[in-house]
Amino acid sequence: MEKERKPKNIFVQGAISPEKIAHSIANHSSKTDIGGHSIFLGQIRADEKPEGKVIAIEYTAYEEMALEKAFEIREDIFSKYPLTCMHIYHSLGKINVGEICLFVFTSSKHRKAAMQACDELVERIKAELPIWGKEILDTEGHVWKVNS
Amino acid sequence: MSQTITIKAFGMVAEKIGSAELTLENPGTLLALKNQLATRFPELKEMKFGFALNKKMLTSDSVIPVGAEIALLPPFSGG
Repeated sequence: MEKERKPKNIFVQGAISPEKIAHSIANHSSKTDIGGHSIFLGQIRADEKPEGKVIAIEYTAYEEMALEKAFEIREDIFSKYPLTCMHIYHSLGKINVGEICLFVFTSSKHRKAAMQACDELVERIKAELPIWGKEILDTEGHVWKVNS
Repeated sequence: MSQTITIKAFGMVAEKIGSAELTLENPGTLLALKNQLATRFPELKEMKFGFALNKKMLTSDSVIPVGAEIALLPPFSGG
């Protein structure tokens, strides 16, 4: 019988630590039907803006709507690709340049499904989740992040 | 029964109107709400943002039910 899936919290306060990522990978060692993982890590870039240099991004979200939408995206991707596992973590609050703010992790028997699903998930997360990044500048001002 | 609706603003929109949450008399439709917001916050006229009704994106004019939560959503920039 197929397991019923429920909305999960995807939000993490602050940066996503490399230890959390390592731990998450290690958690899959007992799932021996997995043959390939795909991981995307979003990192805060020190962009040069006309108004100043980015030193951090402060993320806020319409959390309830984002979790509902993330669940819908999860279900779509699970029905489209033969995946064993899927994990999404997005930071909230202030994340400094060089730190990780997005961690998307897919696993499947064979690499292609994991890679394609991971790519599609990242695109949909950026386009469809009500999350906003405020880029904090070294000039003490800020600009609102625009996704390309 | 309450005839008010809750407005939640996010990102750049919240910054512009100086508040993240407002309670308004229900204007009845999304179009009426847009007009009311434009009058009260002229600075919103030059901004691009969408609306969600009870956490679902709205793509056209719609009747606003009693007690609704309407969110003002600037372009998403997660990730």
